[in-house]
Amino acid sequence: MPTVSVKWQKELLSNVEIDTSQSPYVFKCQLYDLTGVPPERQKIMVKGGLLKDDADWSTLGVKEGQKFMMMGTADEIVKPPEKGPVFAEDIPEEEQVIHVGHSAGLFNLGNTCYMNSTVQCLHSVPDLKSALIKYPPPVRSNEVDQTSHLLTVATRDLFNDLDKNVKPVAPMRFLTELRKKYPQFAQLHNGVYMQQDAEECWTQLIYTLSQSLKSPSSSEGLDTVKRLFGIDLVSRVHCPESGEESTETESVYSLKCHISQEVNHLHEGLKHGLKSELEKASPSLGRSALYLKDSRINDLPRYLTVQFVRFFWKRESNQKAKILRKVDYPLELDVYDFCSDDLRKRLEVPRRILRDEEGKKLGLKTREKNSGSSSTDNDVKMAEAEASSNRSGDSSKNEQVEDAPEKEKALTGIYDLVAVLTHKGRSADSGHYVAWVKQENGKWIQFDDDNPIPQREEDITRLSGGGDWHMAYICMYKARDVPM
Amino acid sequence: MPPKDSSSAGGGDTKNRRKKDEYLSEEDLALKQQLEVYVKTVHDSDPGLQKAALESLRQEIQYSNKLYDFSSKAIKVLASSFRNATGKLLADILSILAFTMSSEGEREILKYKLLGSEGDVGLWGHDYVRNLTVAIVQEYERRQIEKDPIVDLMDLVEKIVAFHMKHNAEPEAVDLLMEVEDLYLLLDHVDSVNYKRACLYLASLAKYFENHVYAHAYIIYMQFEEFPRALQIALYFDAIENARDVITSCNDILKKQQLCFIIARHGVAFDLDEVMCEEDEERKGMQQIISNAKLSEGYLTLARDIEVMEPKSPEDIYKSHLLDGRARSGESSNSARQNLAAIFVNAFVNAGFGQDKLLIGPAKASSGDSSTSWLFKHKEHAKASAAASLGMIMLWDVDCGLAQIDKYSYSSDPHIIAGALLGVGIVNCRVKHDCDPAYALLADYVHNKESSIRIGAIMGLGIAYAGAQDEKITRMLTSIIQDAKESLDVIVFSAISVGLVQMRSGNKEVARAIIFVLKNLNDSELGEPLNRLLPLGLGLLYLQMEGSVNATAESLRRSDKRIGQYCYMTLISCAYAGTGDVLKVQHFLDKCTQRCKKGKSYHGPAVLGIAMVAMAEELGLEMAIRSLEHLLQYGEQNIRTAVPLALGLLCISNPKVNVTNTLRRLSHDGDTEVAMAAIVSLGLIGAGTNNARIAGLLRNLSTYYYRDPDLLFCVRIAQGLVHLGKGLLTLSPYHSERFLLSPISLAGLVIVLHACLDLKAIILEEYHYVLYFLVLAIQPRMLMTVDENLKPLSVPVHVGQAVDVGQAGCPKTITGFQTLSTPILLSAGERAELATERYVPLSPILEGFVILKENTDYKE
Repeated sequence: MPTVSVKWQKELLSNVEIDTSQSPYVFKCQLYDLTGVPPERQKIMVKGGLLKDDADWSTLGVKEGQKFMMMGTADEIVKPPEKGPVFAEDIPEEEQVIHVGHSAGLFNLGNTCYMNSTVQCLHSVPDLKSALIKYPPPVRSNEVDQTSHLLTVATRDLFNDLDKNVKPVAPMRFLTELRKKYPQFAQLHNGVYMQQDAEECWTQLIYTLSQSLKSPSSSEGLDTVKRLFGIDLVSRVHCPESGEESTETESVYSLKCHISQEVNHLHEGLKHGLKSELEKASPSLGRSALYLKDSRINDLPRYLTVQFVRFFWKRESNQKAKILRKVDYPLELDVYDFCSDDLRKRLEVPRRILRDEEGKKLGLKTREKNSGSSSTDNDVKMAEAEASSNRSGDSSKNEQVEDAPEKEKALTGIYDLVAVLTHKGRSADSGHYVAWVKQENGKWIQFDDDNPIPQREEDITRLSGGGDWHMAYICMYKARDVPM
Repeated sequence: MPPKDSSSAGGGDTKNRRKKDEYLSEEDLALKQQLEVYVKTVHDSDPGLQKAALESLRQEIQYSNKLYDFSSKAIKVLASSFRNATGKLLADILSILAFTMSSEGEREILKYKLLGSEGDVGLWGHDYVRNLTVAIVQEYERRQIEKDPIVDLMDLVEKIVAFHMKHNAEPEAVDLLMEVEDLYLLLDHVDSVNYKRACLYLASLAKYFENHVYAHAYIIYMQFEEFPRALQIALYFDAIENARDVITSCNDILKKQQLCFIIARHGVAFDLDEVMCEEDEERKGMQQIISNAKLSEGYLTLARDIEVMEPKSPEDIYKSHLLDGRARSGESSNSARQNLAAIFVNAFVNAGFGQDKLLIGPAKASSGDSSTSWLFKHKEHAKASAAASLGMIMLWDVDCGLAQIDKYSYSSDPHIIAGALLGVGIVNCRVKHDCDPAYALLADYVHNKESSIRIGAIMGLGIAYAGAQDEKITRMLTSIIQDAKESLDVIVFSAISVGLVQMRSGNKEVARAIIFVLKNLNDSELGEPLNRLLPLGLGLLYLQMEGSVNATAESLRRSDKRIGQYCYMTLISCAYAGTGDVLKVQHFLDKCTQRCKKGKSYHGPAVLGIAMVAMAEELGLEMAIRSLEHLLQYGEQNIRTAVPLALGLLCISNPKVNVTNTLRRLSHDGDTEVAMAAIVSLGLIGAGTNNARIAGLLRNLSTYYYRDPDLLFCVRIAQGLVHLGKGLLTLSPYHSERFLLSPISLAGLVIVLHACLDLKAIILEEYHYVLYFLVLAIQPRMLMTVDENLKPLSVPVHVGQAVDVGQAGCPKTITGFQTLSTPILLSAGERAELATERYVPLSPILEGFVILKENTDYKE
């Protein structure tokens, strides 16, 4: 009976006796005792292959002290899981959107980047989407004409398509309806559709939607679009010559940022934009006189639209020329400075709550302050109660029933940048428009027609102009609100 | 130069300078007159007087540096007298005078030297000898043409060589001998002082001349018992007989072991016998070294020393946190393509470490559940790659590796079995275990009924037995190739594997079998993308065999209109790989300019051929890089696809800045195939370097291409390659100071590159496991010093950029060095030098494993 050694993994089992009169299976059983590897899982290397259970020891010529190698483990055999994983490649396209993290791009249908970028910016407003889903309402008001109705439906369907697809969408129907409603977008030049001003498209689209989405239930009341985008301005019109003074109110959908020599920042531009001079007939002087108009914001929207007045009509070149001046804009905009005193009062409490919250987040609030602030806490509560009663008193009749949860949120006058529409080129009717939109997951996507490209947040503020790179034309800010 | 005469040079110097232009100084005048007297005396009839005059004339000339005015006149006078007064002394003087003034092409210097005395040739200094050499070379050429005898000339040559070899001018001696085509003369004149430099020069010449130059270096090395160098030359020629001689001639067991380490690194099959090593135990130990049994251990020692044992996950490589805002948010989603990429990255990064975070790591932590899920997170054939990646992680560690893989061979899923078999082959790559487990485990599966399992087993055998020239396996695989009923992909993998096993053998039977298949492909089979590997299997048989491929290649080209040219290019490129043959490079370039008919393109292998041939040495490599740039500008689409891959091969594991820039540019190419090839090549040139620039480029590419799964897959593969073995490994087939080309490594690279010629259809479809052929080229780029018992020994070494310049007499080998202690990593173009004299390395080349012996002369 020769004794052999068996190498198993890193171990060396020495002095294993082989009974050459019996089958190798017996030998394997011996090894089973030593290693715990069942015989059928053992693989023993001998000359010319594996040791078979029914092999004959004599033909193998086992020598005294020979070294075998054994393979095999007592480990469980790996079984495939019953249900295979689902791969992204197999998932239908609608569900892929969640994985991709942004919605689809839009094909350029021939100089339609102005429209694509506008649609992409507006598409990022969830409230607008939810309002559109409810369209048309069961009772359609007669005020809405047919073309507006069709455009609204087209917008609704397009938004829907964007959400469902990963691959780019062709906004064919929307374009047709837009051109039907506003024939100026169907202008031809040398047989080709012309490039258009995105701001015009934006304004017209918002206008149409505001008309068609006006709730028929409230007769003269606040429509959804107005609530989302409308800015109430109160202006003091003052004539320095005669000392006349009057107050006017108006509602606009965007603030204008005027760009002049001394404007370097959005803030300065807005301030400029809220002040204007106009000439009108003065009743006291009996002739036309110069009036100064000084506007202040009286009511804030959820989405604040700021338009950079980058284009002006240049007579000599007969086109809308562009001001390339660099105007910085922040990711976080505070409009408190532009608010009327009335609004400022209303904003005070929510702003304080917001400040406190942020302070808490940053861990600024000290224990000392906490203990000593019981009285202020009361103050806050009282003020809150006051404010909410004020607010509800103001707007209860305007608010829709379905907006009830939103009632508890108060605006603070602080806005976060969510979308930028940029222009690249030298005049409004040429060049290229692109939308830069912040997704719900906080990532920025540049929608260059059919090509969505992820971008970094710090690159967004670099679109402030001063060169031939894309520069911001319209910025859309979303209100930061606090629960009340 | 002979020492200057102080009387003529020192005293007269200041005076001399003043009057230089007008007339000679008094001393010069005296000298001149003196010389004239001598010349006259030469004409004297008295032979005794004549001789004395000549002797003084010779002395005067030798010690004076103002010969020039004098010589023109003197040479005429003397030459006329020469006819009547014959004398060797006079001839000598005439020769030196001719050196000073004779015009070019007359070779009077030589004429008189041959007539002159047979005395010391160096009497007149180096300058004279140099001129004499020029004359000899010209004369030699003339005599060769006119078939005149050259005996007298060769006597002179021998004298000059002896002179050079004594005076640290080995290159001149070698140059002269090369010119007169008689290097054997050198052997008589080398001694223990100058043989190293002579051989160094010979070796550097040999790259640009014919190879027989090396043979002389080999003889010299053997003569001086510089066995490692001699062995290298033997390996360079694949002359196993010579290699055996080297080992037999070596008497020291430690030195023998060192030689075994060199053979192991080169990766050729080599069996020791009693003649080479008498002692049984010692022989066993040496055979173990040759079979790379210590490789895994050494590699892990290196890893522990550098502290990179901690396994890395693919996310550690992707570093998506550095790409904030741009990175994909839905990383959690299960993309089959990305999971496969993660498997490859995991395999490449943790190659050889025996642990990882996807497959083995979690299995140990939580008894299997999560590990199975990663193995099964793949579609069909991707599972094969996943299982095979275990082999990559356990690379070289046969004992533990097989135990780890074994359980998967019982799986019910044929793809997992196939992967496990491939994994077995990978673990055994370059390692030859005494029990020969790879054959035992794989042989039975070669005839399995599942074709995927067959492929796994066949590929495994090919990888495990590359270069082994094993008869059994060859027969087994050849029979598969000859089986008409076998499916094409199995045949292709058999051809590649048998090509690997029978590499550099030119085995006729195997060649015939593959050619038969090639000729009988029907048109639909011809369209199969995998087919391009079939001629490559044939090419591997003739790898580096140069001329012996011609008959086969030529007959294939003539006989087959459809793929004849393609096969021809593949065969020639393989046969001349690593030769640096400029004519072949030109041939390939020429082929690239020819347009070929649709579907019969042979440009891919031609472009790769340029790289394969030109990668031999630095200069040719640079030229090839430039030529490839031109191809990029003017070439057709399929040339443009191949160019990045060729660049990848030329600079493998050596990220040259200019090539990195070219590839970066191409990685954004409008043509996706070009972009993909460029991305993969970025991985290849950075393979195992952890190069920060390439890693950054690839990270940016991963966001740029985040929406295109194919390109993203390529980026991931490249990222894995750059961090190959966490930066401890290299893919470069060159080793031993870039002198030797490991044929196995080259074969592995070429297979993958050929597969990459059609990335979309091969790698991105179901044959991604072709990438595992890269394992053949994987080697640690380390210097591991061991003591006499082969235990790791840490010593300080200088590591710097390799150079071969320096002062005459003490060549400098490295520049800009750092001092580190072993084990260390060596990058491309770096060389190490021992920084202590306490030990003596047994190999002059500090790479891989080097045995150190204590220096007995060392004193603190």
